[in-house]
Amino acid sequence: MTDKRSKNEFIKEQSHQLRGTLAEGLLKVETGAIAEDDQQLIKFHGSYIQDDRDVRGERGKKKLEKAYSFMIRLRIPGGVVTPKQWIGLDTIASTYANGTMRLTTRETFQFHGVIKSNLKRTMQSFNAICLDTLAACGDVNRNVMTAANPHLSKAHKLAYDLGKSVSEHLLPRTGAYHEIWLDGEKVEDASRPAKKDEEPIYGVHYLPRKFKVVVAVPPDNDVDIYAHDLGYIAVVEKGELVGWNVTVGGGMGMTHGDVNTFPRTADLLGFCKPEQAIAVAESVVTVQRDWGNRENRARARLKYTIEDRGLDNFREEVEKRLGFKFEKPRPFKFTGTGDKIGWRQTLDAKKASDKAWHLTLFVENGRIKDKPGYSLRSALREIAELGICDFVCSANQNVILANVSAKAKPKIEAIFKAHGVSLDVSSGLRRNAMSCVALPTCGLALAEAERFLPDLVTALEESLDRAGLKDDDIVIRMTGCPNGCARPYLAEVGLVGRNPGLYNLYLGAAFNGSRLSKLYAQDVDKQRIVSLLEPLFIAYSKEREDGEHFGDFTIRSGVVKATPAGNQFHADVKLV
Amino acid sequence: MTATPLLPRNAPFLPEDIELLNKVVARTTPQQRSWLAGFFAGFEAAQSGGMVQPVPAAKPRAPLTILYASESGNSEALATKAKKAAQKHGLDAKVFDMADADMALLAKSKNIVVFAATWGEGDPPARAVDFYQALMSDAAPRIDGVKFAVLALGDTAYAQFCAVGKAIDQRLEELGGVRSFDRVDLDLDYAKKAAEWTEGALAKLAPEDAAAGGTVVHVDFGAALPHLEDDEPRYTAEQPLEAEIAALVNLNGSGSTRETWHAEFAFDDPAFTYQPGDAIGLFPENDPALVDDLLQAVGLGSEAALLLKLQKSYDVTTLSRALVDNYAKLTGRADIKALLEGEAYPKFAADRQLIDLFLAYPEKLTQDQLVGLLRPLPGRLYSVASSLKAHPGEAHLLVGAVRWESHGRVRKGVSSTFLGERRKAGQNARIYVKPNRHFRLPADGHTPIIMIGAGTGVAPYRGFVEERVADGAKGKSWLFFGERNFTNDFLYQLEWQDYLASGDLTRIDVAFSRDQPEKIYVQHRIWEKRAEINAWLQEGAHIYVCGDEKGMAKDVDATLVKVLAEPLKGDEEAGRAKLKELTKAGRYQRDIY
Repeated sequence: MTDKRSKNEFIKEQSHQLRGTLAEGLLKVETGAIAEDDQQLIKFHGSYIQDDRDVRGERGKKKLEKAYSFMIRLRIPGGVVTPKQWIGLDTIASTYANGTMRLTTRETFQFHGVIKSNLKRTMQSFNAICLDTLAACGDVNRNVMTAANPHLSKAHKLAYDLGKSVSEHLLPRTGAYHEIWLDGEKVEDASRPAKKDEEPIYGVHYLPRKFKVVVAVPPDNDVDIYAHDLGYIAVVEKGELVGWNVTVGGGMGMTHGDVNTFPRTADLLGFCKPEQAIAVAESVVTVQRDWGNRENRARARLKYTIEDRGLDNFREEVEKRLGFKFEKPRPFKFTGTGDKIGWRQTLDAKKASDKAWHLTLFVENGRIKDKPGYSLRSALREIAELGICDFVCSANQNVILANVSAKAKPKIEAIFKAHGVSLDVSSGLRRNAMSCVALPTCGLALAEAERFLPDLVTALEESLDRAGLKDDDIVIRMTGCPNGCARPYLAEVGLVGRNPGLYNLYLGAAFNGSRLSKLYAQDVDKQRIVSLLEPLFIAYSKEREDGEHFGDFTIRSGVVKATPAGNQFHADVKLV
Repeated sequence: MTATPLLPRNAPFLPEDIELLNKVVARTTPQQRSWLAGFFAGFEAAQSGGMVQPVPAAKPRAPLTILYASESGNSEALATKAKKAAQKHGLDAKVFDMADADMALLAKSKNIVVFAATWGEGDPPARAVDFYQALMSDAAPRIDGVKFAVLALGDTAYAQFCAVGKAIDQRLEELGGVRSFDRVDLDLDYAKKAAEWTEGALAKLAPEDAAAGGTVVHVDFGAALPHLEDDEPRYTAEQPLEAEIAALVNLNGSGSTRETWHAEFAFDDPAFTYQPGDAIGLFPENDPALVDDLLQAVGLGSEAALLLKLQKSYDVTTLSRALVDNYAKLTGRADIKALLEGEAYPKFAADRQLIDLFLAYPEKLTQDQLVGLLRPLPGRLYSVASSLKAHPGEAHLLVGAVRWESHGRVRKGVSSTFLGERRKAGQNARIYVKPNRHFRLPADGHTPIIMIGAGTGVAPYRGFVEERVADGAKGKSWLFFGERNFTNDFLYQLEWQDYLASGDLTRIDVAFSRDQPEKIYVQHRIWEKRAEINAWLQEGAHIYVCGDEKGMAKDVDATLVKVLAEPLKGDEEAGRAKLKELTKAGRYQRDIY
């Protein structure tokens, strides 16, 4: 019988725990690329090879290979960065990358445009500020997100601690990362190589596909828990965290035209006690390791394992490995997925005057850069140099300046003002807008996202203005391909690129992230998007019920059918 | 290019014979035609005398030492021509490159003719430095009564015009020599004047009774046709070829700080030949906007015919002392004349061009006055970037566009922006060949080669590798390439990748200066790889360096001295001696601009 496993399974198997020929490839000075198999392996080290797609056309004519460079993604559990680390990251951005820092949709940073000859020194620069990129991409547990800002409450701090522990527990143990990038240099952190090259959790094949973990603290669902493979929901009773509701099987990615692939909202698995949480993570991961589809990568995420084997079977197997059973889920309620832009204070009851301040700063598309009249990057660096706050990357591509004293507040405000950075956002739509990177660097993009969404939002703001909805929170998300990095299928207005300038428009997702959207229009351009949405905005403005969100309205008014579960995503589609 | 004169219809032959002869003659080069002329003259002489006679060995011939100091090959070519001409003046001439000559040669010479080029800011050509220094030193021998004549080559664009020739001329006199013919200092348009001067100088040096020896054309029945490749090319600066620009591509990626044009010239005439390492001359045209500014500045309107004339044929950018002098005389202005006194000229000329002179000291000129001030537009030389074997009927050039700003004006390199801005593929330009015998692949295809180049300095190596591939030469090869940024400035990157994959290029090392905080240049890579370089030299490798002197060649030279010194306990003197040895052996060749 022939071995039907996907190509990547062989690459992993033969890679000597993620080494491949990466070290040799770095020495080939005539090319900015690396060997094909190594292009898969380098993902596990937190990097993708990309090329500048804007200039692809001219390169061959100029006798130049593609304009290759690397995207490097960091592993920052909970997104927490010290001021010193921020300064280091800012320096790396201008020294080795394209002069920008990109907040991702998963509480970390990406750096773009690092050429091969600078890869190693960039990795070493991260290491020098006690950050690493190990397992930020690849078929492993990726960066763990936790409810934004551990300084916000005791529960947030515990969520952060859990996220950090899960991240460290599920980190690959291979010494490849240190050998290749750090010349074996030792650092005192969890990514330090184990004595022996073995992967007790992952084995030589790692996971069938990527794996994403989040920790949420209700009522905020800022981490978009239903979009993730494994989620923990903090259960706080009488002011104390008593345990976690565990979710499994969420995920966004699908393939255009393949109804066997679909985004899926996670299911509730049960409740576990705080001390059981790490064991739960390990067992969920190992069941997925053993049960996951290794033949078809398009159906290899945990969501399909659960879809195919059933939630009960899956729970049973996890419990078998755990040696205990989950309790019944405790009640909880999520209100929204967005960030609360602007200043807020620590939530826990304390003397009001002692409460620290936290500023959630809106960062359009998460791109931190300087542009004329708006030097966001410089402002943030200046603040970092004062050392008066921690920095927290949010799941919504924003940054939180956390733990600010009342005294330091005006200093921060003055610095932003001096750099032309307003703390307000032009509309409720923009406040809730999110996009992936897409063109020109992402190899998967079929259409623009980051370079297009701001203009589209500006156009839609006129419609919203006419409808009197400028300040209402409406979630809009755009991706350049169906893989769903910006979680478009959980947006009230979701746009997914199909062809240059053309998008699929999805409507009807829940504002709190618990329900998927439904395809409403196919291959629509900017003008058509606006002309389709404006009448809906006006109707919503006139006919909405008290407190009703736009997504719920589009379902109640019959614009689209509700999508109760991932396997219903492609059902009941009626295109306009 | 079939301007070849044909036999007229009234020639004393049958019509069909005229046709046959014309067919043959049409294909001949000037050399071939003069050979034929000589042949028939000699043939008739032999018929009448009953036997073939070589040229009468007229009396004892006078010995003549022809010395040249050459960087780009111009002086060398003049020296070679002079040797031929010397024969008919009854002189027994031997030609020496100063690179191979020493003071002993000087001491035993009876008659000396020197062709000396000045390089850069008044320096002797690199290979002539040792000889020049010895000549200028106290150790130079007396040459009392020795007759000499000096021709100096230079470029009026540089302040120290013909400085080397002038110094040699003066020094030979100090050493007791007798100047038999006055020195001439020639600019880039030297060809005609040099030929006249050579005739005059040789006539003065000729033995008294040889002058009558005359008009017999020497025919060497034993010799083959002149070796066109290593001798005088068919197409020269005086007689360029009109070629089509078949391709014109800026090799730098969008967003580069550089603009480097790869230009492919196509031609039909198989007589246009070159070898890798040769230079190709390109006759540019001026920027019409600049010519227009110039005409406005001197009060001449934009008259189309004049504009075109200046655009095509005259140097409208170079500012020279001679030109300022002429302008002062023409206008009678004391303030212009004052520019030539003391340190005023270099101060004024720094980063200025002709237009600045006219704008700073405006005067109305007539057409003739203006044209009278200008020198002809010289061709620009570029190391050929192709092998004729790989690209029959083509010559490829790599031309870096030069633009800068000075004194409030945007300046453009005449030739580089001619290709970069004012020509498109499909249009024509005039080119010629400038052989460079001192930048050649090793005769043995098995000899390893180390090629070092930065920027457009990589051009000849493309020709080298193409040639070796065409020849099936199996010798190892190693390229060191430097530029600013990897992503956008890696000239011919895909081709090098293919050659590495096929094994036609053995190794490559690159230095991109602006990709990281610290500057990395080729010399840094050379130093890193010093052990391997020494190993290659042990195997007989030849080293080539191409690029600009200030930006690269100097530092590479100094680094190579250190590399060679390393196995010699780091003794840099010994390293330098070793490098000199390699130079003498033709194993260290440089093409520097």
